[in-house]
Amino acid sequence: MFLSADEVKAVTDRLLARCAADACEIHISGGEEQSLRFARASATTNMTTAEVTLRISAHVGGRVGTVTTSALEPAALAAALARAEEIARMLPVDPEYVAPLGPQDYALSNRYDESTGRLALEALAQAAATIIAEGGRRGVDTFGCASSGRRFEALATSNGLFAYDRRSEIELSTTARNRADDWSGWAGGSEHRADRLDVGELARRACDKAAYQQAPVDLEPGRYTVIFEPAAASELARWVLNSLDSRAAEEGRSFFSKKDGGVKQGERLFSESFTLRSGPDDPLSPEGAIGWEGVPHRPRVWIEKGVVQTFYRSRAYAQRTGAEAVPHPRSFTMAGGGLSVDEMVAGVKRGVLVTRLWYTNMVDPRSLLLTGLTRDGNFLIEDGRIVAPARNLRFNEPLGEMFSRILALGAPQRCWRPLGAGGVAAAPPMMVEGFTFSSKSSGV
Amino acid sequence: MAPQVLLRPQDAGQSHMEARARLYDLADMALAAARRAGAAYADMRLGETRREFVKAREDRLETFDERSNLGFGLRVLLDGCWGFYGARRLDAETVLEAVERALANARAVRPIQARPIVVEDLPVVETAWAMPMGVDPFAVPPGAKADFLLGVAAAARDAGADFCTATLSAAREERLFANSAGSRIFQTRTRVHPQFDVTAIDKARGRYATRESLVPGRGAGWDSVLSCGLVEEAARAAQEARRKLHAKPVTPGPRDVVIDPTNLWLTIHETIGHSTELDRALGWEANFAGTSFVKPHMLDRLQFGSELMTIVADRSQPGGLSTIGFDDDGAPAQAAEFRIIEKGTFRNFQMALGQAHLIGLPQSNGCAYADSPSSFPIQRMPNISLAPNENRCSLADLIGGVEDGLYVVGAGSWSIDQQRDNFQFGGQLFYEIKNGALGEMVRDAAYQGRTLPFWNALDGLGDKTTYHLAGTFGCGKAEPVQVAPVSHGAPAARFRGVTILNTARGEV
Repeated sequence: MFLSADEVKAVTDRLLARCAADACEIHISGGEEQSLRFARASATTNMTTAEVTLRISAHVGGRVGTVTTSALEPAALAAALARAEEIARMLPVDPEYVAPLGPQDYALSNRYDESTGRLALEALAQAAATIIAEGGRRGVDTFGCASSGRRFEALATSNGLFAYDRRSEIELSTTARNRADDWSGWAGGSEHRADRLDVGELARRACDKAAYQQAPVDLEPGRYTVIFEPAAASELARWVLNSLDSRAAEEGRSFFSKKDGGVKQGERLFSESFTLRSGPDDPLSPEGAIGWEGVPHRPRVWIEKGVVQTFYRSRAYAQRTGAEAVPHPRSFTMAGGGLSVDEMVAGVKRGVLVTRLWYTNMVDPRSLLLTGLTRDGNFLIEDGRIVAPARNLRFNEPLGEMFSRILALGAPQRCWRPLGAGGVAAAPPMMVEGFTFSSKSSGV
Repeated sequence: MAPQVLLRPQDAGQSHMEARARLYDLADMALAAARRAGAAYADMRLGETRREFVKAREDRLETFDERSNLGFGLRVLLDGCWGFYGARRLDAETVLEAVERALANARAVRPIQARPIVVEDLPVVETAWAMPMGVDPFAVPPGAKADFLLGVAAAARDAGADFCTATLSAAREERLFANSAGSRIFQTRTRVHPQFDVTAIDKARGRYATRESLVPGRGAGWDSVLSCGLVEEAARAAQEARRKLHAKPVTPGPRDVVIDPTNLWLTIHETIGHSTELDRALGWEANFAGTSFVKPHMLDRLQFGSELMTIVADRSQPGGLSTIGFDDDGAPAQAAEFRIIEKGTFRNFQMALGQAHLIGLPQSNGCAYADSPSSFPIQRMPNISLAPNENRCSLADLIGGVEDGLYVVGAGSWSIDQQRDNFQFGGQLFYEIKNGALGEMVRDAAYQGRTLPFWNALDGLGDKTTYHLAGTFGCGKAEPVQVAPVSHGAPAARFRGVTILNTARGEV
């Protein structure tokens, strides 16, 4: 259920007026979403959903009780508020209690397009038909998912804060597999405006990668020069961004912790070409206005030229340490360079081009050792050209070291993210040297 | 906006039974409208999912959140096309709108429905089922839960941990399944999972170690939380994290391993649970969750593992997170009592409605789940477990058969390829085995392998005295992602020649 700012404010004003606690905070989010999936050129599942969620937090004597509900009826909301107050009264006092925020200065958000938000399922079916037709022409099977919708998020407190943000979204991804079922390709994109998503180009890209007649080759585990396409580069960069937790670093349980108890802020830890930024003003991957706990998202530089500039920090931890509360970034852009993927390939004696990654997981946060696999479009590069599809491989790579071995970057591109991910990313194609593949995978 | 059905009497002054009766009325109305509009089949899930999440960190209760989602999902089959509409509302106006929207969706996908959807008839049932539960976790006062979690954190810190986070997750699903054939099934199930993670720091050496709890999530009540021994385990875990800080690094290379069920459940989940899902084998998840190396032509032919290996699916194990009377397609739990692997040979896929005929079988074996009433039901796992050895075999017997190896306890970092072949699993604790006896703790270890060689290297299986039912609240699959609870039981088991990785050095 998509609510306007006025509709939300009517609900929050009514609830705040009933609040008998010391203070109250109400977070409301919701929206409408539709999606369809297809496999081997035929529809499998589809859905349209409408939902709204209210999270009511009552503050009583330095204690906070929270009730989350999907009901909007006044009687149900009044009961939820009373229950939140009741819970708060039964909890121990929080030694790090933080009161709800007062009015904040939020950035203007520019992530909403009415026509995208109101797309009908027919439009997604048409996009799927375009992909299926391209697969038919190229002699490959196509699989995919298309989703679109619009969402809102709002926060109101008894201390005078009211904030409202909204976004529209469309995402499309497709996997193409050859008829021998031994090779695949993938392409995907997500945008806030449907007219920025080129369905035909995505379909061609996925089918181009899959439509290899040549049998894939097995590569031996070892260290390779690797070119990551933007989808893969953004996934690797997000792991670094997610590790920039101030508290973990200061408590000695992070890659960014120093042996003596300090944090590695202001030190060069990565290649000079590695820069991560975020902000509501980002042209490629704009951040929302309202950050975690209601703290406004601002333009921020997290890592600049390989040097950590900013850590994220909760309000309670910020209060305890006397530092600024910084919300965790949900969207980001990794800065790029001037080389195209073709130019990078031309400069590689022997290496691998990676389309996307799968099942990445942190093995050792101390070294940012990440494991995962390549997927849907791995290619062997020899003497400056792609010579064969190459079967997938598992990697075990310390990201701290990997982002110190960047050889080249291309132009950042907005990358695919599923609708429910709550954030987007832009990253460039990235070439690194000495990337460690540790074992073979037959998975195609 | 029309008033909606609220399941809990305190919400709207109506009795629970009256609220439940309204669900039946809404279902009758929607399904009749769908049939009148030409749907060949329609089904619906309606109800409420309640959740609770409580989190303590050191001496602070950080979060206490009670959550409730009401809603429904209507699925119609029109001219061989599915159409679905779901909403977090329960009122007549929204339900009637859903009929139109679901039918419109079915018409919208007709141009890309090259292969019509065909569903089989399932038994028509009118019944109710409720998971046995001791003390209702949602009736326990918040203060008691806060005290319990703060007690866990205190026990860990008193025993030497620098940090401890303790959490409690609870959920209750109250759901009516109704379909156009006449089935009406009302089910209630409850689950709880208390957890912690402790951290020990050695700042001088710039090193830290963690140890996560081994207590599994259970389909059970608050009494299981109190009796699971979490406070005692937290104290033990703090000492083990301290030992881990100063343990010697593991030597990488091929080793024999004895795997505790607290670790093996996750390996079963990833390598067997997901690889034997029919929708994956058919390619329906190819774009995201992945396909499978297991193909339909391998039924009754594939030697998945050694003869010691029998993998059983069920929806009846006490405490199982997938234990239930009927699945979300309305298929009875008895259908989900089958062997996926029998003495090493692959015997059955897991299936949901509309899939069995694609491999020449008559009907679903009861493996459907929707993670909320407003989600499209898809194939998900029942409880999937490794059957224990019928002959006597203790943990000591398994360890006694290893000259130079490792004993692995607790699940750690995990990753597997999208066809469920190449995997890598960490753990909470690794111990050396030397000359048939348990030795020193080692750190920085993980094991890596390929699914078929790994299960064919199974040469020792513990008996029922080593059996343990574990599981997760959070298995993700599909687009949009749906999250399902599932349990996996296993005895301790021994595998030969498994590749051990030193994660600190990234070496195999």
